[in-house]
Amino acid sequence: MVMRPVPWQTGEICGPESAKSLSKADVLKRDLKLCKKLLLIVGSEAATEKYGKGDMIDYAIALSKAGNMDVIATGGAIKAFVEKGFDRAKSMGAMEVAFRLQDPEWVGPFGKGPYDMIMIYGMPYYMQWTLLSAVMNFGTHITAISISRFFQPHAKWSVPNMKEKQYNALLEDILGLVGGGK
Amino acid sequence: MKKKAYFKADEADTGLGKFKGLEVHIGTIVDDEWDEPMGPTPMPNPTDLRAWDHKLLNRYHPSYMPYCQVCCLCTFGKCDLSGDKRGACGIDIKAQQARIVLAAANIGCAAHLAHARHLVDHLIEEFGPRTELIQGPGTEIHAPVSRLVTGMRPRTLEDAAIIVSYCETQLAHTLSATHTGQEGSWLDFESKVLHAGMVDQVGMEIADLVQISTMGFPKADPEAPLVQSGIGMMDTNKAIILTIGHNIVPAASITDYITEKKVGNKVEVGGMCCTAWDITRRDPSAKVVGPISWQLRYIRSGKADVIVVDEQCIQVNVVNEAKKVKAPVISTSDKAVMGLPDRSDDPIDSIVEELVSGKIDGAFIHDHHKVGEVATKVALAIMPKRRKMKFFPSKKQIQKMAEECKKCSECIRACPNDQPVMEAVLAAQLGNFEPLREVYQNCIGCARCESACPNDYDLHSWMVVAAQADCKDETHMVRTGRGAIQDIEIRNVGQPIVFGEIPGVIAHVGCANYPQGGKDVHDMCEEFAKRRYIIVTSGCAAISAGHVKDENGQSIYERRSGEFDAGGVLNVGSCVSNPHIAGAAIKIAAIFAKRNLRGNYAEIADYIHNRVGAVGISWGAMSQKAASIASGFWRLGVPVIVGPHGSKYRRMLLGKAEEERAWTVYDARTGDRVVVAPGPEHLFYAAETVAEANVLTAKLVIRPNDTGKGRSIKLSHYIDIHEKYYGYFPDDVWKYIRRDTDIPITLKDKIHTQMKENKWKEGRIIDPTLLKEQVMGGGK
Ligand code: SF4
Ligand code: SF4
Ligand code: SF4
Repeated sequence: MVMRPVPWQTGEICGPESAKSLSKADVLKRDLKLCKKLLLIVGSEAATEKYGKGDMIDYAIALSKAGNMDVIATGGAIKAFVEKGFDRAKSMGAMEVAFRLQDPEWVGPFGKGPYDMIMIYGMPYYMQWTLLSAVMNFGTHITAISISRFFQPHAKWSVPNMKEKQYNALLEDILGLVGGGK
Repeated sequence: MKKKAYFKADEADTGLGKFKGLEVHIGTIVDDEWDEPMGPTPMPNPTDLRAWDHKLLNRYHPSYMPYCQVCCLCTFGKCDLSGDKRGACGIDIKAQQARIVLAAANIGCAAHLAHARHLVDHLIEEFGPRTELIQGPGTEIHAPVSRLVTGMRPRTLEDAAIIVSYCETQLAHTLSATHTGQEGSWLDFESKVLHAGMVDQVGMEIADLVQISTMGFPKADPEAPLVQSGIGMMDTNKAIILTIGHNIVPAASITDYITEKKVGNKVEVGGMCCTAWDITRRDPSAKVVGPISWQLRYIRSGKADVIVVDEQCIQVNVVNEAKKVKAPVISTSDKAVMGLPDRSDDPIDSIVEELVSGKIDGAFIHDHHKVGEVATKVALAIMPKRRKMKFFPSKKQIQKMAEECKKCSECIRACPNDQPVMEAVLAAQLGNFEPLREVYQNCIGCARCESACPNDYDLHSWMVVAAQADCKDETHMVRTGRGAIQDIEIRNVGQPIVFGEIPGVIAHVGCANYPQGGKDVHDMCEEFAKRRYIIVTSGCAAISAGHVKDENGQSIYERRSGEFDAGGVLNVGSCVSNPHIAGAAIKIAAIFAKRNLRGNYAEIADYIHNRVGAVGISWGAMSQKAASIASGFWRLGVPVIVGPHGSKYRRMLLGKAEEERAWTVYDARTGDRVVVAPGPEHLFYAAETVAEANVLTAKLVIRPNDTGKGRSIKLSHYIDIHEKYYGYFPDDVWKYIRRDTDIPITLKDKIHTQMKENKWKEGRIIDPTLLKEQVMGGGK
C-alpha cells in the first residue's frame, strides 16, 4: 500500500500543480478559518464505504451537522440520505457540480452559496479526479479538500493514500476540527 | 477501375441524372431528376453551419476538465498552461481542451471515413461504379443523412465515392485546425467538433449503405436473424477462426470460402466488436463472440485457432498474445499491419505452410481474396494439435503462484475500475476463487493489472480461470443488425414520438469500457423498453444488451420485437450503422412534418432538437470514434449520455436550467419569443451511476413540442424513475408544466402543491424553433 501523496490510479498524474498532503487534520486549520461557506460533496460510493459501524453517508451527516454544511449528493447517493431521514442533502450530477463550481456567483441548490470551500469524497476515483481538475483550473475561488482515502492531485489538500485504520482516525480528527473550529 | 473511384466531384458523370455543374466547395448540385428544392447548405464547409453551432453552444456550455495542464504538441513546448498562462503559440487552457476534443473527433471521423473509402473502392472494383445502392424495402428516403448534409441522393457506388470525397476534404480542414497557430478560440474549435461529427455521420452512412447494398446484409429488416453469441456458443469441436475489428471485407472472404467449400461442419467463424455484427449480417451461421473487451480473455483461452484482424479497436499486441497460445495472426488492413511480414503476393500454399509450421507468427495479407482460404486452411490444419494443448494454469497452480504476492497494491492502482485484484489474489492463496470471479464480472480486460504486477502474474487469465463456469454459460441469441428504419415504421410512430406519446427513442451505442460490467447496458435497455420507449442498439453495446437471460432463458432480442415501435429493441448493426438512428430522427421530419431534407441541415436539426425525444447512451464509450459519433448527434441537437469513464473525454456540454435566455425560443406561428422548460437540459453528460443515467434519460427526452398528453406521459415516467432510483419525488416537475393538461392525473395533488410553492405561472404550448427564419413569413 503506497502512503505517498501520488495519484492512486497510477496513470492519473497531473500537471505542474499538485495537492498538498492532508496527513493530519490540523493542516486544514488555517484554510478552515479563512473559509466563509463550506459545501460537502458526496459521491455514490459513499453508501458502500464503511465508516465505523456505519457507512460514509453516516459520516457525511455527522460532518454536515458538525460544520453546518450543505451537502450535495451525486450519482444517486441522495437515496441513502433520504433513507436515513437526512434533509440537508440535495441531488446533483458530479458533472453538473464540476461545471457550477467554476462560477464564483453560483449559489447552489440551497440558494445559500456562493461557496468558497468544498470537501469531497465518494466518487469513482477518476471521476472525482476530473471534477477536481475543473475546480482547480477554472474554479479558482474555491479551496478544494479531498477527503477520500486516496490521493487526488487536483485538490488543494488531499488524503495521501492511507491505510483504513489511519484513515478512519483522520476522519475523526477532521470531524472534530470542523465541529470545534466553527 | 480503382483509379476511377477517386472522383473529383466536378468530373463525375453519375447515375444521378444530368448534372449541370457539380461544385463541391460552393455546394451547388443539380440533380435534374430530383424535384426536391436544394436547401441553403449542401456540402457545407467548416464555417457554413457556424451560426447553428453557436445557437447550440450558447445553450450548452462546454465545461472543461483538463486531463493535463501542459501541451506538448510542438517543439515550442512543453508549455505550462495552468492558471491563466498561455503557451508559446498563444493558446490558453480552455482552447487547448477544445483542441484536444477536436483532435479526438477528427481521429474518430478519420477511422470511419477511411473504412468507408476502403469499402467504396473495394466494391467499385468488385461490382463496378454503377452498382445500385439499396437500403431496403420501404426506404424511399434512403441515405437521409447524406441527403441532409450533401444535398445528394447516393444511388450508385459512384455517387458514394463523390460523397466520401466531400467528407475527406472536410476532414482535412477540421484536422488542419488543430495545428499549432491555427484556430485559437474554444468556441470555434467546438464548432469544428460538431462539423467533424456531422461529416462522420455521413461517412458512416455511406459505409453501411454500400455494404448493405452489395454484401447480402439484412435490408431494413425488423426480423433480421437471431444469431448465436457468447464464448460458450463457440463450438470447440470445430476449428475456430476469430475475426476482430470493424471491416467486413476480409471476414466475408472467410465465410464465403467456408460456404463455397462446404466445410462449415469443420470450421466456424466468430467475431468480436463490429466485425462480429457485420459477418453475422452477411452469414447468420457465423457467431458473435463478444464485445471489444472480450479480446484477451478469448484469445488467451486458446480456443481460436487463427486470429484475423482488420481495423479499429484491436488489441494491438495481438501478435504477442496469440503467440503465447500458438495461434497465428493474419492482419489485413493497411491501417493495422501489426509488424507482420507482407505475404499478399505469395502463393497460398506457401503462406499456409509457414503459418502452420510456426515459421512465422502471422502474415499481413491485404489481398482479401486470399484471406479466407489461408485462414481456413491454417485453422483446419492446426486445430487437432492445438486442442490437445492447455493454455490456462490450473486453479492449483494459481494458488501456488499467488503465494508469492508482494501485497504491493500495484494491480489495484493500475485498474481503471479500481477492482480489488490484490485481495482476490490473496483469497486465491487460500483456494478461494470467488473474489477473482467477481473481479472478472467488472473487468474490461485491459490487463493493466498484470502489466503493473512486479511478479508478472497473468492476473487477467487467472480471473478467466476463476470464472470458467460463467464463460461456458455465455450462450445467448442476439438479433443481428437490421440496417435502416423503414419509412413505413416512421410513418406509424412519427406522430406519437413528436407529440411525446411514445415517450422517447433511446439509443445504446458504442464501446465496452463499462464501469461495472456489461449487464448495466441490458438493465438500462430493459428499464425503458418495458415503459414502451423505443430502444435502438448498435456496436458493442448491442452485444452486451443481449448478453443477459431472463427467467425463461431468453435474451432481450428474443423477447422483444425488432420493430421501430414502442417497446421494441432493435439492433441496427455495427458502428457505421449509427446513422440509421440519426436517419430515423431525420426521416421523422421528412415524413411526418414534410420538411425538405436536401442540403437543409440547420432546419432539420432544429426540428429534431425541439421535437424528437431521442437520447443517445454510450455507457462504455472509450474510443475517439465514440467521440465523433456523439459529436454527430450533438449537431443534430440530440443529447448523449456516457458512463463515468466518459468524463475522461474532459469536456461536457451542459445547460443551466435557470438561465432563461438559453431557453428562449421562437414560436414559429407568431414569432413571439417564449421561455420554454429546460429540455433537453444537457447535450453531453457523463453519469456516475446507472441510477443517475436512468433519471437523466427520463428527463432528457422532454422536448418543447410535447403535447399535453405527451408531456404528462414523459413526466410520469420521470417521476416514477426518480422515485425508484433517488428515493423521492423530484422537485423540478413544476418547471415542466405549461398547462394543466401536462400534469399526470394521478399525481395532480403533489404537483399542484409544488407549483404553488414555486409560484408557477401558466405557459403556452408553442411551435418551437431556435431559428428566426423558421417563423412563418420568414420572421420579418
Ligand atoms: S502547440 Fe502551443 S501550447 Fe502546445 S507546445 Fe506548441 S506552442 Fe506550446
Ligand atoms: S484486466 Fe480487469 S482487473 Fe485487470 S486492470 Fe484491467 S479491468 Fe482491472
Ligand atoms: S501487483 Fe502482483 S504482487 Fe502486487 S499485490 Fe497485485 S498481485 Fe500481488
